[in-house]
Amino acid sequence: MGNYILRRIGQTLIVLVCVSLVAFFLIRLAPGSPAVLLLGDGATDEQIAAKEAELGLDKPLYVQYFRYIAGVFRGDLGMSTQYRMPVSDLIANRLPNTLRLAFFTVLLGLALCIPLGIVAGSHRGTAIDFFAMFFALLGQSMATIWIAVLNVYVFSVVLGWLPAVGTGTWAHYVLPVVTLGYPLAAETTRIGRSGMIDTLNEDFITATHAKGIRPSVVHWKYAFKNAVCPVITLVGMRLGAFLAGAIVVESIYSWPGIGQLLKTSVGNRDYQLVQSLLLLSAFLFALVNLLVDIINSLIDPRIVLE
Amino acid sequence: MNRKIIAQRMRKNPFFIVGTITCTVIIVCLFVIPYFIPFDAQANSLTEMFGKPDWFSKGFEGHIFGTDQMGRDILARLLLGGKISLAIAFVVVFIQVVVGTVLGLIAGYFGGIVDSIIMRTCDVVLSIPNLVLALAIMAVLGTSVVNLVAVLSFSGWVQFCKLTRNNVKVASNMEYVHASQALGSGSARVMFRQIFPNVTTHIIILASQRIGWVILLESSLSFLSLGIPAPTPSWGNMIANGREYLTLYPWIALVPGVALMFVVLGFNFLGDGLRDVLDPKRTS
Repeated sequence: MGNYILRRIGQTLIVLVCVSLVAFFLIRLAPGSPAVLLLGDGATDEQIAAKEAELGLDKPLYVQYFRYIAGVFRGDLGMSTQYRMPVSDLIANRLPNTLRLAFFTVLLGLALCIPLGIVAGSHRGTAIDFFAMFFALLGQSMATIWIAVLNVYVFSVVLGWLPAVGTGTWAHYVLPVVTLGYPLAAETTRIGRSGMIDTLNEDFITATHAKGIRPSVVHWKYAFKNAVCPVITLVGMRLGAFLAGAIVVESIYSWPGIGQLLKTSVGNRDYQLVQSLLLLSAFLFALVNLLVDIINSLIDPRIVLE
Repeated sequence: MNRKIIAQRMRKNPFFIVGTITCTVIIVCLFVIPYFIPFDAQANSLTEMFGKPDWFSKGFEGHIFGTDQMGRDILARLLLGGKISLAIAFVVVFIQVVVGTVLGLIAGYFGGIVDSIIMRTCDVVLSIPNLVLALAIMAVLGTSVVNLVAVLSFSGWVQFCKLTRNNVKVASNMEYVHASQALGSGSARVMFRQIFPNVTTHIIILASQRIGWVILLESSLSFLSLGIPAPTPSWGNMIANGREYLTLYPWIALVPGVALMFVVLGFNFLGDGLRDVLDPKRTS
């Protein structure tokens, strides 16, 4: 058990080092010097050279890389050329908004998928199963952009029930959370359903039935525990990749989070910010995946042996 | 697998039938309807701005789905955008299959250090969310169709690589592989002539399921104006454009949105149906 967790942490660290290399060199491929972006077009060559020396851009690439990594550990992620403030402050301001959105999205996804997927899986071929499959397939086929636009049109423009943009009250949470949560719920419902079907075909379920245990107890106590592992894995993966969905949703609903920040930083070629956000998203992804693997190994000890 | 059995399963599988019909109808429409409508997808007409949909009241002579803020016919743009999106999706999935399968074959067949390097590369690519990675690369490279195809291909080959590698691991221990090696076949021959034909089923299934996924990712990038550059239409940038006029002229965004939903639904049905037909043991 302890060995398994240590090995997973080791793998995670290697991946993070590689991602930091990718993020660092990807940004170096971009045309134009960051010094010019900070100073503006009117800067003289001497000013640019001075700024480059100040930022350490005249040093060899590997020195720049190690300086950057050393900075990351001190919490110094460089300056944003667009906002003219430290990248770490920008992220610290915005991250809580995105995390709140992520929390409610996962809550909605799980609240829909656990009853729907598990009940559908244990009542295969019934009306509720058909409904669950339809719900899931529709959800997987709707682009986030389309759900968002449709939501705004129906609930803000036509019905006028909910605000379309901004933050503040609980009502502002509804549309972004539904937009992000529906595709998640669709996917998890599907995985939960098929996990349940697979589990119910296993020998130990037949054994519990043979013992005379009530079907509802078999389903919820024995089968559920086995079917929920892939759901947790999937939710973890989607949570880790939450930033991707948040880019679209936050820019549509003007939600001041990390996703919106990434979109504007890309638009304004704020490379220092892009680089840090790439690293942040990979870090969150790795962290969530590590937690998911540990949780799953606690629920299902067989995983450790593989 | 027996062709007769596959054909029989195809006829019995509702997902496969609905998916095939939807996709066929959409593709036929994309290529045939442009010959009937008298409008150009990129021609502005300032006298016809924000035209309401005429539906079929004037036949093909009217603006069936209305016009946008520059007076361009929405149906014409929808058809051209759809053609571009589908073409990109097919090319991207093809590249993903080729790159992923070849690397997967190499990793699974040779094992050891080669396998470790390829698999860790997969982990790195997987650990950055697709859209985030695509966004960052597009920002550095700049927007163009070639870059778009490259970025979309880059973010999706990993799944093919991992799938092929795991299947090859199983297949390389089969007796026919050892027999071929004993007869003196080179690595390339064993990989492509002996092992590859035995791992194609899962690749076909995954590829068919990926088409819808690529269309969605492309539309998201185009929506964020980092995909297909305007004024060339794509469903993503049409939705983005129509979003600004949602209160008064909702059809500009709703028409491409509905189209996007049906296309992806069709390909997802087709992919799921194909999986049931070719690999009936799996239920997910």
